[in-house]
Amino acid sequence: MIWTGLILLLLALLGAPLFTIIASGAMLGYLRSDIPLSAVAIEIFGIAEMPILLAIPLFTFAGYILSESDAPGRLVRVTNAMLGWLPGGLAIVAIGTCALFTAFTGASGVTIIALGALLYPALAQAGYDDRFNLGLVTAGGSLGLLFAPSLPLILYGVVAEVSIDALFIAGVLPGLLMILTMSAYCLWVNRRNRVPLSSFSWPEVGRALSESAWELPLPLVVLGGIYSGFLAVSEAAAVTAIYVVAVEVAFRREITWSRVPGIMRESMVLVGGILLILGASLASTNYMIDAEVPQRLISLVGELVSDRTTFLFLLVLFLLALGAILDIFSALVLIVPLILPVAAEFGVHPVHLGIVFLATMQLGYLTPPIGLNLFIASYRFNQPIVRVYLATLPFMLILLVAVMLITFWPELSLALL
Amino acid sequence: MNETSSRPETLGRAERLGRWLENSILVGVLSGMILLAGLQILLRNFVGAGFSWVDEALRLMVLWIAMIGAVAASREYRHISIDILSRFLPPTPRLWSALIVDLFTAGVSFALCWYSYEFVAFEFDDEAVLLGDLPAWPFEAVLPVAFGLIGYRYTVWSLTRIKAIIQPEQLP
Repeated sequence: MIWTGLILLLLALLGAPLFTIIASGAMLGYLRSDIPLSAVAIEIFGIAEMPILLAIPLFTFAGYILSESDAPGRLVRVTNAMLGWLPGGLAIVAIGTCALFTAFTGASGVTIIALGALLYPALAQAGYDDRFNLGLVTAGGSLGLLFAPSLPLILYGVVAEVSIDALFIAGVLPGLLMILTMSAYCLWVNRRNRVPLSSFSWPEVGRALSESAWELPLPLVVLGGIYSGFLAVSEAAAVTAIYVVAVEVAFRREITWSRVPGIMRESMVLVGGILLILGASLASTNYMIDAEVPQRLISLVGELVSDRTTFLFLLVLFLLALGAILDIFSALVLIVPLILPVAAEFGVHPVHLGIVFLATMQLGYLTPPIGLNLFIASYRFNQPIVRVYLATLPFMLILLVAVMLITFWPELSLALL
Repeated sequence: MNETSSRPETLGRAERLGRWLENSILVGVLSGMILLAGLQILLRNFVGAGFSWVDEALRLMVLWIAMIGAVAASREYRHISIDILSRFLPPTPRLWSALIVDLFTAGVSFALCWYSYEFVAFEFDDEAVLLGDLPAWPFEAVLPVAFGLIGYRYTVWSLTRIKAIIQPEQLP
């Protein structure tokens, strides 16, 4: 049992697709319990029994269309017109636009590719230090994970069987806190920089706003539709997909129709990867519950930890380590079913747990050895990975402060519910 | 001579056909999903009642998109993985490790193909139905078919590793 576990771990570290690791773990477990292995297939078929999953391909496709269009550039222009006059304004523009964009693209690294290419040279031109810019753009690429309709937020709702509407609301204040702490840091770092300020001009704000008039209502359509009760989450995803295709392809023609199939394939490769892991984990979770793994985990943790504060502290440490080696989607489907009952034992609200989980895992994008954003930024901006890592480190520490606040201040997540 | 040159030709054609099929299914199912979901919203909000079969059809389409998307991910070697050890390995051990990983992936996929085939066969014998009274098995058949294709894809990846191990000078 231990040996098979170790072999599977080694195979995973050598790069075997995670769905094969999870599925073979489940199959071995079923074998041991004399359950027919076709039950694994029945569990994977469970993908077709969760209505909410419809939201995942639709939002992902919409996010890919947005990132291929000129919408990122227009978004930068609007925020710049509104905030560019502040000292350190462009840095805050970068943070704000990254967060908004990541919410729609699900933090798959698309933000760095689509927005980083615009912001990185713009920041350099405005006279900011190169290392600061590199760190800012890399760290910004995963900001906004806590805002609706981000993919990890939806996936947590699916796995933990928590209302996704509630998660969307719960993410607002913690997400804003992360943006505020990062903005404050940017202002502080640049307090002595004599970056020439652009002056505020109403006509420019007007021009930028009218240029983005079609994209700006999107968050309102999504959130307004959901909270007015007019649309379910998966329906809001369908509306977003239709709207984005209508605006960027049919109306603005920034993407030709002939490019749409390629974008569809590209986005569905990601969706297939995520959902297959989810399917395999449905089988493995079922086995682990059968084998009473959560109960054993509860009694084990209960022996080591006596109060909620210690539990939360250890949880954050564990998630930081986990985030360094596992991507957010796999971590969600594998770990959440196990820690959910343990957290409940310590009186942690499942919605709060979700926000803590995602906020901490977000830092995983920035930690070596596998932090996805480090690699994307290194590749995209042609910089050595170590330099990217060192440039990102201060931002990571700042975000860690925000994560601690989010963890030990549950009201921040739960106040608006 | 003729035989050896025509075989890669047939394989190449099969590859192109496969990619074309993948793309057609992905584009067709995703477009269908977007349209059906949009239609359902209109019906539900303005006519008062949607078709009950639409929700079930949409869920099945998610399964299809997931499985065919996973097949496409296998073609591009883009499944989500951890892969932290192999980048520290020198080239030859890295090839061996990739070979082991690819053979393992092919094996697991073929096993999943077989056991999901058993599931589909059982549903066939059972005359299980979906979407009202349609037989369920053709919709479920995407599982064994996709896992079979993923297994095939990783078998091909394994063969390219073996080739690179035998003929290291042809490494790109």
